[in-house]
Amino acid sequence: MIQFFHVYKAYPGDPPVLSDINLNVEKGEFVFLTGPSGAGKTTLLKLIFCAEKATKGQILVGGRNIARIRESAVPYLRRNIGVVFQDFKLLPHRTVEDNVSFTLDVLGVPRAEAREKVRRMLKLVGLEHKADSFPLRLSGGEQQRVVIARALVNDPTILLADEPTGNLDPALTVEIMDLLTQVNVRGTTVVVATHDATLLSRYQKRTVRLERGQIVSDEDGVKAARRMAAV
Amino acid sequence: MSVLAKATYFWRSAAVGLRHSPFVHFIAVTTIAIALFSAGMARGAARMLDNLLASLGGEVEVTVYLAPELGEDEVHGMRSRVEELSAGQVTVVPPDAALTRLRTELGDLGDALAELPENPLPATLELRVPPEKRNPAALQALAKELRALPGVSGVDYGEAAVERLTAIARALRFGSLVAFVVVLGATVIIVAATLQLAIYARRGEIEIQKLVGATDRFVKAPFLLEGLLQGLMGAGVALLGLWAFGRLLGPTLGQLFAFLLGPGVGTAWVEPRLALELVGAGCGLGLGGSFVAVGRFLRV
Ligand SMILES: Nc1ncnc2c1ncn2[C@@H]1O[C@H](COP(=O)(O)OP(=O)(O)O)[C@@H](O)[C@H]1O
Ligand SMILES: [Mg+2]
Repeated sequence: MIQFFHVYKAYPGDPPVLSDINLNVEKGEFVFLTGPSGAGKTTLLKLIFCAEKATKGQILVGGRNIARIRESAVPYLRRNIGVVFQDFKLLPHRTVEDNVSFTLDVLGVPRAEAREKVRRMLKLVGLEHKADSFPLRLSGGEQQRVVIARALVNDPTILLADEPTGNLDPALTVEIMDLLTQVNVRGTTVVVATHDATLLSRYQKRTVRLERGQIVSDEDGVKAARRMAAV
Repeated sequence: MSVLAKATYFWRSAAVGLRHSPFVHFIAVTTIAIALFSAGMARGAARMLDNLLASLGGEVEVTVYLAPELGEDEVHGMRSRVEELSAGQVTVVPPDAALTRLRTELGDLGDALAELPENPLPATLELRVPPEKRNPAALQALAKELRALPGVSGVDYGEAAVERLTAIARALRFGSLVAFVVVLGATVIIVAATLQLAIYARRGEIEIQKLVGATDRFVKAPFLLEGLLQGLMGAGVALLGLWAFGRLLGPTLGQLFAFLLGPGVGTAWVEPRLALELVGAGCGLGLGGSFVAVGRFLRV
């Protein structure tokens, strides 16, 4: 579903942020992307949904080579990728319902149908009673769930989540992570970037570790579980 | 995917935009309204000028001097020839009448004319030129034709006056065209600047639209629509202003110019044709401004 071949990313004038990244994420997989702050996790996710362009190397998403994608094709790629942003990116002056509906408006989904889908999605994330609230009136965890609802309302094949629990207390963290694994069980490929080691031990999924822009380890869930047990 | 759903979304989005920053849009609408109002006023003024020219042109008479040896019958024959040729109205001024007129015009000096043994003046024809021939080119052609007629010894018309009036009219029209183009350019720039602010105010929304897969056209459409709405509203305000102007000041102006133009001037300032043109121009201005703004400031 997502493949990286010798991918490099450098911002002009700086040493490379990512070097020689090789990665293969299968359809329906759940992958943790971990590593210390500044390791390049966010940058790697950005490459996947074309918010940044690789300096070198090939990236395939759903079979498409996005290193050579035309600018005008980017929107169509993004419609298959839901993104949960580290900084939420919610519109403060729009209701929760309108924020979630944004993804569908862009596709030209008729209003009644969009409303129906948004309601169902809000129910899934447990926020149906907050549909008419404004984001800033919600707790951090609730806002995070709105972002997840917006990312998922269009049934994307891939869900990327950047530090989805970064601002949450432990109880809310569990809530959000349970939601993401649930989404994965329903068939969506999920990539979660996190520097939170407790998540890794609790969920025991495939874990790709980045350090200073390089992949230093890549263990599957079983291996991760075995290592955790040994500690 | 439904076109209708997108269209409604764009309209809603544009309406939200108008509500979102009312002051900015107020400025744009006012600017467009002022530009279109001025254009409408210029139109009205140009129409008055045309009427003025036409009525002054009515004074344009061509005097045809006939050969002195022509008898009365021949003079009347000439009269019909000239009428036929020019499609105008011809009055015969016999030599006696011409002499009397000259004497009164000369005043004291005129008494000297009484001493003349015989009337030296030829019969003349005074021709009132029909309106369609009251321009320099047509008058010149007519004069040439008349001069070529046998029995005509001379042709005279207010050549210089006609040419000067027409030149003034042309200069005024050209000047107002230049002014109009400048105003249009300035309006487009102001509309573009206000839409730039609107785009800036909604940059968060635009960013998220892009991230969830909106095409460039989808992002741009509401702003173009906003420009169009501004243009329509501006045209509406301008028309209302022109209508009110015509209603309030039209009668006064009509009276003021009545001695020059005759009755019936300055009544209808807003004709359907002008209204259509102004609405069209408003849409053009709004869309033009938003195209500039979207092209320059919406690097999506
Ligand atoms: N737009 C940018 N311009 C220059 N450097 C950047 C930019 N974005 C990120 N970086 C640098 O890239 C490195 C990796 O950043 P990031 O991918 O955000 O790491 P992580 O998400 O793992 O904390 C950091 O050193 C950061 O300073
Ligand atoms: Mg990061």
